[in-house]
Amino acid sequence: MSARIAILDYGMGNLRSAEKALEHVGVSARISRDPVEVRAADGVILPGVGAMPRAMERVREYGLDELIAERRGAGVPILGICLGLQLLFESTTEFGGSDGLGLLEGPVGELDADGLKVPHIGWSPVRWERESRLTEGLPSGTPFYFVHSFAPRPSAADLLGSAEYGSRFACAAERENVFGVQFHPEKSSAAGLRLLSNFAGICAKSLTTA
Amino acid sequence: MILYPAIDIRGGQAVRLLQGDYAHETVYDADPVDAAARWGGEGAEFLHVVDLDGAKAGSPQNLDAVRRIAAAVDCPFQVGGGLRDAKSVAALLEAGATRVVIGTAALRDPDFLDTVVAEHGERVVVSVDARGGKVSLSGWTEATERDVEETVRELGERGVARFLCTEIDVDGTMEGPAVSELSRIATSTPAGVIASGGVGHLGDLKRLAVLGRVTPNLEGVIVGRALYEKNFTVAEAIEALR
Repeated sequence: MSARIAILDYGMGNLRSAEKALEHVGVSARISRDPVEVRAADGVILPGVGAMPRAMERVREYGLDELIAERRGAGVPILGICLGLQLLFESTTEFGGSDGLGLLEGPVGELDADGLKVPHIGWSPVRWERESRLTEGLPSGTPFYFVHSFAPRPSAADLLGSAEYGSRFACAAERENVFGVQFHPEKSSAAGLRLLSNFAGICAKSLTTA
Repeated sequence: MILYPAIDIRGGQAVRLLQGDYAHETVYDADPVDAAARWGGEGAEFLHVVDLDGAKAGSPQNLDAVRRIAAAVDCPFQVGGGLRDAKSVAALLEAGATRVVIGTAALRDPDFLDTVVAEHGERVVVSVDARGGKVSLSGWTEATERDVEETVRELGERGVARFLCTEIDVDGTMEGPAVSELSRIATSTPAGVIASGGVGHLGDLKRLAVLGRVTPNLEGVIVGRALYEKNFTVAEAIEALR
């Protein structure tokens, strides 16, 4: 049975490209912020583009902070993409600072680009720091597409992948059923589709074991 | 990376131009369908067809050849040249083209671009021709101040799924593709990029394949003269691009 995935709509982001990419790998995706629809989904994607403090305001305004925590508690796989990944962490220093959802350990901070142009826009090879179901079939060093000025500083336990831009930064994290990637899998050609398809596979699996 | 053997049609024949100059033309096949059948028969995965008459006239002039190519080959193919309105785009797709390639009009007429992208999505390729990092229009006769990387990024954000990037100064020369320019363009967008211009030897294809490992959206290369001059075969080219 294939998984149904909810793409959380909190009014910030490029939701259509994530939806299209999921459709492309044969996953039924629904853009929503309706708790009934989100609870019916086997997996949740938290997308997003923009600044984290404002995004957190929106997330709280729509009650999605509680909904995400509830789904996490229910064992539903959650994937944060770009700003969505940053929201899963504990806090950020962006624009005077803000709390995050705290489902992954660590803060979010400015990219240390060592004089390179920020935002970091483009393709960078990603090194996996450990094995994960999310990265199955994707060799360490596979390039993914990035657009960001901030990056998370996960705890060693949550660190899944890193990339280099001026300095090495964390760009993928995982803790139990919570996953996040700083790059855009929905814009990263075949490798990105594979990662999304892996995530859908994790969702389908947790469905059969639940 | 996908090899796109190029078939340029002018006056009903398959020709190659040097740097887009109509005065420097070499005729290779009296019937472009022969060229298509030959490249298809040798294992090409995708063909790139340019209607040079259409490019000059401002509307497709070789629809019949497109229909005959569609009937003669099994592999998909894209067609460009003179596409300036939604009707011509629809006519080409109906004639059997897998994708259409839009050039100048995509940059001059944003409404036209939005219309065809909304209607045909991934079947629309936008061709961006460049000289020294700046965009050139109208079959390279008109230089602009538009930055190629910015143009590609903007159009990508507007929904263009794939670009065809030609470096004018090396096109038709077989002196090697503009690798560093291509790298900068491919890095600036998540959209697909097909490289065009300058391929002469298998080593050129190998260099592009290496670049494609770093920027996986660099997904194809157009080869014209080098195939017609038998510098290498389609099979050798495909192998070099692996």
